[in-house]
Amino acid sequence: MKSKIQRLYLFIIYFLLYFPILILVIFSVNKTKYSLVWHGFSSQWYQVLLNDVEIWSAFFNSAVLGITASCIATGLGLLGCMHLFIHPHKKFRSLRNLLLLLIIIPDIVLGISLLVFFNVTNLPLGFVSLLIAHITFCLPFVILTIESRLQTLDPNLYFCALDLGASQMAALSKIFLPLLWPAILSAALLSFTISFDDVVTSYFVSGSDFSILPLTIYSLVRSGVTPELNALCTITLIISIIPILIVHKLTRKKT
Amino acid sequence: MNTLRLASAILLMGSSLGFCGKVVNVYLWGDDIPKKIIHRFERESGVTVHLSSYDSSETMYTKLSASSNNTYDVVMPSGNYVQRMQRRGLLAKMDHRRLPNLKNLDAMFLHTNYDPGNQYSIPLTWGSSGIFYNETQIHHAPTKWTQLWRKAYTRRLLLLDDAREIFSMAMMGLGYSPNDTNPAHIDKAYKQLQKLIPNIKLFANDGLQAMLIDGDANIGVVWNSDAYKAHTENSAIRYIYPKEGFIIWIDNLAITSNAPHVKEAYEFINFMLKPSISAEIGATRGLAITNKRGKALLPPSVRNNITIYPTKKTLKRGHFQQDVGEETNTLYMNYWQALKLQF
Amino acid sequence: MKNKSLSIKLLYTWFLCFAFIPLLLIVVTSFLSKDAVHLVKLPFTLNNYAVLFTPLFMKIFIRSLLISTITTLVCLLLAYPFSYILIKSKIKTHLLLMIMIPFWTSSLVRTYALLSLLKGNGILNTLLIKIHFITNPLNLLYTNFAVISGLVYSLFPFMVLPIFNNMERFDFKIMEAARDLGAGPLDIFFRVFLPNTKKGIISGCILVFLPAMTLFYIPNILGGARSFMIGNLIQSEFLEMSDWPQGSATSIGLILIVLIFVYFVRFRGKKQ
Repeated sequence: MKSKIQRLYLFIIYFLLYFPILILVIFSVNKTKYSLVWHGFSSQWYQVLLNDVEIWSAFFNSAVLGITASCIATGLGLLGCMHLFIHPHKKFRSLRNLLLLLIIIPDIVLGISLLVFFNVTNLPLGFVSLLIAHITFCLPFVILTIESRLQTLDPNLYFCALDLGASQMAALSKIFLPLLWPAILSAALLSFTISFDDVVTSYFVSGSDFSILPLTIYSLVRSGVTPELNALCTITLIISIIPILIVHKLTRKKT
Repeated sequence: MNTLRLASAILLMGSSLGFCGKVVNVYLWGDDIPKKIIHRFERESGVTVHLSSYDSSETMYTKLSASSNNTYDVVMPSGNYVQRMQRRGLLAKMDHRRLPNLKNLDAMFLHTNYDPGNQYSIPLTWGSSGIFYNETQIHHAPTKWTQLWRKAYTRRLLLLDDAREIFSMAMMGLGYSPNDTNPAHIDKAYKQLQKLIPNIKLFANDGLQAMLIDGDANIGVVWNSDAYKAHTENSAIRYIYPKEGFIIWIDNLAITSNAPHVKEAYEFINFMLKPSISAEIGATRGLAITNKRGKALLPPSVRNNITIYPTKKTLKRGHFQQDVGEETNTLYMNYWQALKLQF
Repeated sequence: MKNKSLSIKLLYTWFLCFAFIPLLLIVVTSFLSKDAVHLVKLPFTLNNYAVLFTPLFMKIFIRSLLISTITTLVCLLLAYPFSYILIKSKIKTHLLLMIMIPFWTSSLVRTYALLSLLKGNGILNTLLIKIHFITNPLNLLYTNFAVISGLVYSLFPFMVLPIFNNMERFDFKIMEAARDLGAGPLDIFFRVFLPNTKKGIISGCILVFLPAMTLFYIPNILGGARSFMIGNLIQSEFLEMSDWPQGSATSIGLILIVLIFVYFVRFRGKKQ
């Protein structure tokens, strides 16, 4: 009985999450342009989408930006977190708190302050300015995610391993990495998601030659969401299922 | 730090390598110039266009003011912003000799009151803001701005999210000009707008078509181009030019003062001044075009549509929107924000 | 050790350049006066902060606090049991990824999908009318309800991930031990499970509450005139009003409020 209720609860949550997505998918094959009523099946919007070079280059750019920012932020955050964990000095704690402060800054304030900063330092707006902004707002999320996991671990494990003769690298990689692996994955995924979808901060620090998807979409939705965008979201959805298959293969290997 | 610098240098080189060819960076209002036309320009001129768009003139103004102004070559300010931007030195003086297609423009737009002689801006499209209503839901069609204050419209109004437009509505209702700078008049208009608060449902500048077509808002204030586009999908949408008067705005193409690709910018603007191109914009966007030759090429259903092209008699009631100077602008903006906070 | 202190140095430098200095610029700006042409000008003033204490501004702060708190609570109530069920499952990583996938599609487009759900002639209303649950369409759109729905929908995974990560390390044998010692299920929950997952809850709440306060495009799209929140206010002050000093002051005010919230939550958390 208990597990039935649990399964029902899971089902309801996933249903609520995916229902708007379902609508998106259904309307991607709708014949009409603006109306939200069913007019008949049509794959024309996928044709339009395939021919739309702007959207694809924006999509590719966003993906590259997201992966780069996510990798750098996760790597940097991970190293920092581990160092703080093993050597909890007071002054490092202040760094950590300062980094967490970054979450509190509204993204619009971050965007504008970076815009002015780039202006003063004469850094041209483009991929680099976007990358810097994205890493900056991803870092605190990485730290929070990895930390909430690290706090349940015992730092003595590391020192024991050292005592037993392991090198620093071995101690860290063989003991903590396997334990932290889900947290690292979560942090990386979270960073990618935030970066891929960021509208406000990117709006201010993006240049004219590196178009990213959220801003392209933002300008397109102004005239109403055309089914072409729905088609894009459907395709993104299908592509996103690939990591699941990868993870499935990875977890299978372990058992 | 050195590795960081090296990495960024490589990245910068990489991003600029991709664009050895001719390029122009264009910053336009929304979807006003269709992608098809941009692609045609790219094909015919060999210049690659980097298109960005904005949803409000204020955002465009702020972004240009804060950055070093060499990110974009061509921008699309409305008349009142041309004056503001020119005052701040953001716009370049234009050389008309490089714009042979300028002769296609209607004489009416060659000496605008915001930029006499078109030194900094080239008018491309124009339109108005007025009252729309859905005739299946609203049975007594409004004809004047003051009628929007009727109790029957409680929580039903959709208003443009633009300070000048909405204040103009109140000003004209009180009998003042929408370009009035008298603080006492503006204060009176503000008090009028406070009385309108119970009727206001929401403020919006984008996605207006879907709101109108689907009946999320049945009465309010929108631009005529949106009302026209909504009407094509839902014939119950009507647009009227209020009796007390209405605002006429003009959207212009301009070149920024630090533009990195000036030659290509002129090519772009000259291309948009072609009659056939102008006609295509006018036919699909519900916008009135400034191009005399282009207007002749429009299909009769568009050319004779009074929502887009009001009659001469109606136009007499129109006021061209002008810049009112920074001080008055600030006053308007302060009142506008105070209004929005009172909900 | 060299590796590690390099990372610390990098983090410090990064923070200094791209967070501290820009923030400092904002703090300084908040004390300046507005200038129409150059955006800021010299006379230092406290006026921008004084304005924050007027009733009009307080109303916006309170409304934002209310909406953000409701959003956080709803997310928490939904995500907590959800995470619990997830960690007990055999395919938990897959299920977790399934939470993330919708969020790789643009949140703008998903918000517009919500819009089409909640419209007057949208899917929800059409369904409810068809089954004769209601006769007139519900006015759901352009209300605070729509805004909260949009926020919860967008921020849900931010609550799930930290709670999940934290719960996963919980040693369930403790619960078995408690049961053996005669504790009832409610006792086990409130005195064993809940306190040990507190860190995850706190992280999740922070990750949801903060963006809920500052995201402006969701109230923009789903909310009406009566859903004007702090994020919209800051956007308006920076962009429409071109009043950077005031916008900076409001941002600092917001940051201070949130700092107080976070400190309070952490302080209480540490106490227990």
